[in-house]
Amino acid sequence: MESYSNLEKLSNDLKNLFPNEEESYFDFEIICEQNKISFKTHKAILSARSQYFKSLFKSKMKEYQENKLILKDFSSSIISSILNYFYSGKIEINLENAIEILIFSSKYLIDELIEFSSNFIKKHFQFETVVDVLKLSESMNFN
Amino acid sequence: MSRKMILRVPKFQEPKRMEKSEAQRLWLLLKDAIVEVQHMNASTLSFEELYRSSYSLVIAKRGDILYTGLEEVNNHHTKNLLDKIAQAVDERFLIELNSQWQQYKLQQIMIHDILMYLDRMYVKEPQLKVFDLGMFKWKQNVLIHSQINDRLVRMLLGLIHMERNGEVIDGALMKSLIQMYVDVSLKEKETYKQEFEERFLLATSHFYKSESNLFITNNSCGAYLKKVEIRLIEEEARIKQYLDESTGPKLIKACEDELIANHMQTMIEMETGCRTMIQNDRFNELKLMYRLFQRVENGLVHLKNEFAGYVRNEGHKIVNQPENLKDPNALITSLIEIRNRFEKTLSQSFANNRDFINSVNTAFESFLNENDKLSESLALFIDKKLRGGFKDSNDQEIDVIMNKVILLFRFLSDKDVFKKFYEHYLAKRLLSGRSFSEDLERTMISKFKQECGNQFTSKMEGMFTDMRLSKDALDGFKNYLQTSVEMGKLPKIDMSVRVLTQGFWPTFPPHSCTLPPLLSQYCDLFTKYYCHAHTGRRIIWQTNIGTAEVTFRLPKKTHVLALSTYQMLIMLLFNDAEKLSLKQMAAGTSISFMDIQRSVKPLYSGKYKVLKRTPAVEKSKELSENDIFELNLNLKCKLHRIKFAATSQTDSEPERQHTRQRVDEDRKIEIDAAIVRIMKSRKALIHNDLIVECTKQLSSRFVPQTSMIKKRIENLIEREYLERFPDDRRRYRYLA
Repeated sequence: MESYSNLEKLSNDLKNLFPNEEESYFDFEIICEQNKISFKTHKAILSARSQYFKSLFKSKMKEYQENKLILKDFSSSIISSILNYFYSGKIEINLENAIEILIFSSKYLIDELIEFSSNFIKKHFQFETVVDVLKLSESMNFN
Repeated sequence: MSRKMILRVPKFQEPKRMEKSEAQRLWLLLKDAIVEVQHMNASTLSFEELYRSSYSLVIAKRGDILYTGLEEVNNHHTKNLLDKIAQAVDERFLIELNSQWQQYKLQQIMIHDILMYLDRMYVKEPQLKVFDLGMFKWKQNVLIHSQINDRLVRMLLGLIHMERNGEVIDGALMKSLIQMYVDVSLKEKETYKQEFEERFLLATSHFYKSESNLFITNNSCGAYLKKVEIRLIEEEARIKQYLDESTGPKLIKACEDELIANHMQTMIEMETGCRTMIQNDRFNELKLMYRLFQRVENGLVHLKNEFAGYVRNEGHKIVNQPENLKDPNALITSLIEIRNRFEKTLSQSFANNRDFINSVNTAFESFLNENDKLSESLALFIDKKLRGGFKDSNDQEIDVIMNKVILLFRFLSDKDVFKKFYEHYLAKRLLSGRSFSEDLERTMISKFKQECGNQFTSKMEGMFTDMRLSKDALDGFKNYLQTSVEMGKLPKIDMSVRVLTQGFWPTFPPHSCTLPPLLSQYCDLFTKYYCHAHTGRRIIWQTNIGTAEVTFRLPKKTHVLALSTYQMLIMLLFNDAEKLSLKQMAAGTSISFMDIQRSVKPLYSGKYKVLKRTPAVEKSKELSENDIFELNLNLKCKLHRIKFAATSQTDSEPERQHTRQRVDEDRKIEIDAAIVRIMKSRKALIHNDLIVECTKQLSSRFVPQTSMIKKRIENLIEREYLERFPDDRRRYRYLA
């Protein structure tokens, strides 16, 4: 028996679904409240990739009825990065977005991103931000 | 100069203290939502809003408000449900309970989903997880409440009872309600075990106790076995259909105890039971019994003992049946038949279980050695087969019979006795030219060799070598005669001689006789020739086992008579006399009177009578010394060649005793050798240990009697191989 796997191609192909063109069969919208930018997404992908979304759809509550989720606390660029990650399995973390990604993934319980982003932050710990980071950490129950 | 990059900390996430009023507001929002969920009105709520509220409370370290609040809401809700469910009557009760339970479970899943952040980040041992908390409240306030629990278990057990009596019940409802006991158990299914399983198992035992008692008294054992098998299949299905799988082994054990273990003795002893089945070869029923008994502790032991007992009993009957004692062929044939029969039972019913086979073999061993008949009977059985009994069998059938012979042989404890008899009859077959096929002889011997090793068959093989060498010697003798000077003076006779190496062949009781001068001369010539060719050898003539052909001239016709050497000598006497008494015959031939009797008998009392008794007397009358015989010149026979049996196939009693005596002589030597071997290696040994060790060493050949070993020890002491310790008479020392 031989098995073939090509995760790179899978990742690239799925990326074609997001951000998507008109005819990509999207069925769910995620709206960033801060700038009203709307992301066209797919329930199947989201529920496969995230326990939060799986429960959200299963609950048959308002979001499911209206096919729409409004996110209040995050910038559209962070939402976009995370959604990209859901589709392709890839994300770029830098000094700019690291803390926000950590906060997002901790709220929505994306365990592998929590781990990766907090390691990134530890690595780039600097004098200028130490107080802020510690305060944040304290408030989020991080160690 | 490059700008230094630093981590960007978002402004809006600056930690801020949450006011108590804000926390209360968020809790009330969530509480309303939970109540809505409990009333199945969730579709207008925002999942994200609720999730976010729970998240915010936990972040603000107000998770406790949420958790204790949730506990209260669940408490309140389940108490309300209890009233609703308890009011339902009769079968509505189960349906109402089930539908409320199903809804409740779904609600708890949804509440868990909304409060996922609380569940993951706030709840710590020993607090219950959000879903478990819901289960616990249901258990506490509904399931084990006195208005519910007892009623529910009674109804469930009632339904199972109905189903066991053949009615159809709602399996899905059963499964859901029974699974509820498992779902509300926090660890190791303790609620299920305590509240349901225990009572269910008790009811099961009770049900099958009364059913099995009633059924077995009114039905045959076969019908009961089938019933048990069906019941066990049904219970297996019940486990799959609506019980928790952990109950499986316990349920089956309870059924097996009541249905099988408690009735084993009855099933064996009852009129239609195990005994009858074995007697009548009811293979399928026995197979079922085996399968079922196998399931309970010691079940197979009972069955095995019963079977082995039957085998021993049947075997005992066969080896003691008077007809069988007289007819070795019938004896061995019936033994092979029952062996086949029991092998069939073993394979068809008892899965060729090792223990069963062993105990059948032990039974065979015990009845086959009940009397000392078997060794000789077995040797005679093969003798008959090898004298032509195999004529009509093909190779495969012959092989089967030979293997059965080996099988019976294996059970003999006195293999040395068998060996002596076998050698004796083999010698007779070879010397009288009555062996049907040398190939078959050799096949049989090779089987003994495989079984017991070279030593066992070396003499038998030696006999075959002698036969071959004798042929060469005889050819050489004939050539010698043609060139010999003395030959010209002698009338020609056709003489055949077999040279038997002493030791390979059984020693035949020594008999002397006077040969006619012509034969004597030929014998001397052969001796001269042979001893010249093989210096250092000595020839002893054994005339008593030879054969001869004599021409018998009647007035009108001539016959050739095939006779034993003794008969020939007797007949030759009539060349010079008309009438002879037995006494005269003995005198003229130097043959013992007993051999004269045996030789004469076939000549005057067989189908063709060449001698007649004068005066004629009743056939059966014993011969006496003074009985007179003359040639029967009126013999009427169409055959040219007439054959007379020298002796009957079976040996006479003296010959048999002679064989036994030789076995005893051989045993003395073997025991001596064994004792010396043991003492040589152990130097000193207590009497009993020596006896045990000696018996063990010899057991593959025979079972020595203790008295015989004792005698041999005494003898060895006399011959100064051993001595007793002066201070301990029971100990022996080896003297080098």
